[in-house]
Amino acid sequence: MTHPPSIDDESLIAALRLSGGRDPVPAHVAAAAQAVFGLRLPEAVTARSTVTTAPAGIRSSDETRLLRFAAAELTVDLEVTSMDGLVDLAGQVSPPPEAGARVEVRTLHLTEARELSPTGQFAVTGLPPGWFSVVCHRPEHSSVATSWTRIRL
Amino acid sequence: MLSVSDVTSGAPVSDQHGISAALAGDQAAWDMLVSRFSGLLWSAVRAYDLSAADAADAVQGTWLRLIESLHTIRDPDRIGTWLFTTAKREASLLSRRNRGERLVADAEHAHPDPALTGHVHPDPAVAVLTADEGRRLWRAVEEMHEPCRSLFRLMAAAPDAGVHQLAGRLGMPSGSYGPTRGRCLNRLRTMLTAQEATQ
Repeated sequence: MTHPPSIDDESLIAALRLSGGRDPVPAHVAAAAQAVFGLRLPEAVTARSTVTTAPAGIRSSDETRLLRFAAAELTVDLEVTSMDGLVDLAGQVSPPPEAGARVEVRTLHLTEARELSPTGQFAVTGLPPGWFSVVCHRPEHSSVATSWTRIRL
Repeated sequence: MLSVSDVTSGAPVSDQHGISAALAGDQAAWDMLVSRFSGLLWSAVRAYDLSAADAADAVQGTWLRLIESLHTIRDPDRIGTWLFTTAKREASLLSRRNRGERLVADAEHAHPDPALTGHVHPDPAVAVLTADEGRRLWRAVEEMHEPCRSLFRLMAAAPDAGVHQLAGRLGMPSGSYGPTRGRCLNRLRTMLTAQEATQ
């Protein structure tokens, strides 16, 4: 067992606290972790977050954030706006999927379903802040789910 | 409360089995993973001086990442390391945001973690998270001079105390707590390295 100097402060603190045994896991944390299992989508392809640069002329303000998630076949762009303690999402799936595609915006506690416009757009308003994922269900292809992302106010 | 040895003692066979069963949709197998690793993840994120609510969010994010990556796992033996590393990354993002860094959203940026999808070297950080190592750490702490010994004891005994409160109990200004803790951690690392050299 060796400890290279590279072991970071936080890992040492975690080890001291863990073996100190004075900071048990709150019951709700374990319960929430169990509930996560119900959110899995084994058939879906994950669209990973990529760093976006706002298009020229559009300044991403404190209230509006632009997110992009890319999978092999499609990209999901989201404009996230926080208003009065809630979150609004405006999304664009590119290229627009075939007719009959729909999206679900999932949070830990509720899911909102929307039809996609012919141009691949959708919007959901009044979501609680926190973890969310957008799933695009396509009739002829596998679903694509954006990597879980935490939106804070 | 889990014992530390439950948390990290390698049980590759059961991890392999647990992950296969979870992949097949077995909630009980998932719950087993949760109970095995929750203590480890909670300690990992709490070390970033997060509030209880933020710490809960970081742990939750870690399990969400596992759900996303479950079907890509090539190396179930490494799941503890992967979870630990992922939890640290989530917590670090959160603590940076709390300090006012502008991050667009707390998403994982771009790279799937290699620990589950390819070959990685064992993370030395995980090695200190066993029961034996924990006892060794505390034996080293007991040999330390003040303020380090009291600082570590207090840090472990009062996980919800803020910097202000901890500094007050140690009789130092709030602004000194962070730097002092940093120096004490460096000293502890040095002691552990020296111990190894003489073993």
